[in-house]
Amino acid sequence: MRAGQIYLIIAFGLLVFSYFKEKQRTKEAIRVTFKIFYTVMPVLILVFVLMGLIQAYVSRETIAAILGKQTGVMGILYAEMIGSIALFLPPAVFPFGGYLHDNGAAYGPIAGFVFTAILIGVTTLPLEFKLLGKRFTIARNIFTFVIAFFLALFMEGILS
Amino acid sequence: MKTWLKNDAFRFLFLSILIALCVYALNPGKGTIVTRTVYSTFFDVLDIIIAVSIFIGLFQVWVKPATIVKWLGKGSGLKGFILVCTFPILMGGSLFTVFPLLKTLREKGARQGAIASFITAWGGKAPLLPLETKFLGWPFALLRLSLVVLFAFIMGFLMDWVCEKSAGANVNKG
Repeated sequence: MRAGQIYLIIAFGLLVFSYFKEKQRTKEAIRVTFKIFYTVMPVLILVFVLMGLIQAYVSRETIAAILGKQTGVMGILYAEMIGSIALFLPPAVFPFGGYLHDNGAAYGPIAGFVFTAILIGVTTLPLEFKLLGKRFTIARNIFTFVIAFFLALFMEGILS
Repeated sequence: MKTWLKNDAFRFLFLSILIALCVYALNPGKGTIVTRTVYSTFFDVLDIIIAVSIFIGLFQVWVKPATIVKWLGKGSGLKGFILVCTFPILMGGSLFTVFPLLKTLREKGARQGAIASFITAWGGKAPLLPLETKFLGWPFALLRLSLVVLFAFIMGFLMDWVCEKSAGANVNKG
């Protein structure tokens, strides 16, 4: 059985359990589920198109040359920069990361990409400035970038 | 039509189709590669995306953000700090949804370090574990998740250190 089917069975099981506990809340949960699906799926499709574009136009060798094992420190830095700039919803980060890995990117750069894509967003900067302050925002984003680098280096060492 | 254009879902789909059509027009062979990639990946992840959406939906109604804030309190003390570095891993959402929540947390008196730890731990993204393990494997996912806790701890200390320094500077100025 596919892993996805197992997750689906668990999810529906939880949904039924939740329904017996509290109908109203479960209806709300289903509403949220639809909303999330509706928000995430179009973005994912765009990311799949992006993956298709890379598949069609960028060779495995090119990806390996930028993000592969032998690129070492630079590969991680490139990946972190891509992650910081890219407008990625978190659910799109993993398919894209996995895709890059299948096409020659090493685990370290992928880890750097995943960390920064989730935690640093050029698009969310204005909101962070506004809600949490300038000093906080600048310090947080710089620290995140630097620590993500060392953790990615560590993951590269362990996983390969 | 106007409301359609303002709809994000529609925009993303429209853009996707537009790009695919452009590639087809330029080079039908490459266009086929693009559509084949989209098609196979889509059906590969559809069940996981549905399952993840249900997980997040259930989590959001059973553990309301306001409850989380109340529960975490100021994120001070060792127990609060450990909670702030671990619990948000279970939450869904994007940075757009997490920042307003953190503003509330700060208004309740949470320290800068606790807020930074919260964001970092939130980056753990346990609800997306089915996706992460599918595309990057269990060793990657589990190692990353455990490092996220360490990451959150370090962020907390660093941000507290930076912000205490700035508070000191303000006192000197005053």
